[in-house]
Amino acid sequence: MAGASMKDIKIRIKSVESTMQITKAMELVASSKLRHAKERVEKARPYFTTLHAALTDIAYSNTEFASPFIAKREVKKVCYVVIAGDRGLAGGYNSNIFKAVETAAGSAAYSVLPIGKKSVEYFERRKKDLVTKHYANVEDVNIGDCFEMGKILADGFLKGDFDELYLVYTNFVSMLSQVPATVKMLPVNYDEEYAKQSGPKNLIQYEPSSEAVFDNIVPQYIAGMIYGGLSESWASELGARRTAMDAASKNAGEMISDLSLKYNRARQASITQELTEIVSGAEAL
Amino acid sequence: MSTFHLQIVTPDGIFFDGQAQRIRLRGTEGDFCIMKNHTDFVTALSTGVTRIILEDGTVKEAACNGGMVSVTKDITRVIAVTFEWAESIDLQRAQAAKEQAEQNLKDATNIKEQKLAEAKLKRAMTRIHLAQD
Repeated sequence: MAGASMKDIKIRIKSVESTMQITKAMELVASSKLRHAKERVEKARPYFTTLHAALTDIAYSNTEFASPFIAKREVKKVCYVVIAGDRGLAGGYNSNIFKAVETAAGSAAYSVLPIGKKSVEYFERRKKDLVTKHYANVEDVNIGDCFEMGKILADGFLKGDFDELYLVYTNFVSMLSQVPATVKMLPVNYDEEYAKQSGPKNLIQYEPSSEAVFDNIVPQYIAGMIYGGLSESWASELGARRTAMDAASKNAGEMISDLSLKYNRARQASITQELTEIVSGAEAL
Repeated sequence: MSTFHLQIVTPDGIFFDGQAQRIRLRGTEGDFCIMKNHTDFVTALSTGVTRIILEDGTVKEAACNGGMVSVTKDITRVIAVTFEWAESIDLQRAQAAKEQAEQNLKDATNIKEQKLAEAKLKRAMTRIHLAQD
């Protein structure tokens, strides 16, 4: 029946329209939050680069440098800090990050410090060793939390809970491209050969000692890295969501124009049918 | 008076980048002061009041927590975990943080929790002390 299908189409158009409203709103929200997120990335960058430079300087300051944080150990267990989102509807953002973890880890045993609700859920379902489930809300994790994580992870490394520490996050390349990345955090990268060759470069006074200063700032270094990764990931999530929602809105628009065409055709068909019915009725008289 | 290039960076951005006559900081080994032509020097920082004398002689105070300072010939960099100018400290928030920390200290069940609470209390006290001056 033409009338019923016309009604069906109308209901369908209404439903697609309301979906489009949601996707449009989400796109707008993501765009406005993205601006703040990008500012945060820019703000955190100088801190991180200076800290990294200082750490490298200290490590290469003398030829006999020794710290438990640079000692390479036999790798029995690896720990991953995995930053994902709290919500879906962001294209492949979450699944890409988990794929990156799976590829990096292979079949070996590993523990995870998940950040973000999706990350917690994913690794919980797979019955992985979770360091803590405390950071299930990626938007609320602040710099203080990162320092807590830095401390927990540095302690865990020293205790021997794991022998290597990696950070898995999403790099914000541009509005359209976000790439998952894996970075090694512990042990801190240290090239013994290079240290021997370069020799003592400058006479810097360390108080109380270069090792003590180094060990003191390693947790902060980890925290800084996590915070940097977090800022990048948060911007990436919003970017991915914006792109996904943009595509969804476009699709919805196409669907609506398609359905309107069908609706108009159905309407025309029903009018034509009514006309022929009237005409043939009149003829029969 | 002669000045040197001072930079203060935290994860929240750059707080200071310019010339200063003097900066007093609290390190893990105690308070120290840096002036122009200081020898190359690196140390870790603890929680305390930082006092900076700017190029024009004005004195600025701030609550500084954690991180490190690195002094080289060209530049002195304070890489702090948190840094708050005295005038931007929210006294009410600091007091709330202090009460919370005291509560946490009472409820602490292990050494780790106790240490965390103690550090938090120290940060809050520094901020309150600065804000009340």
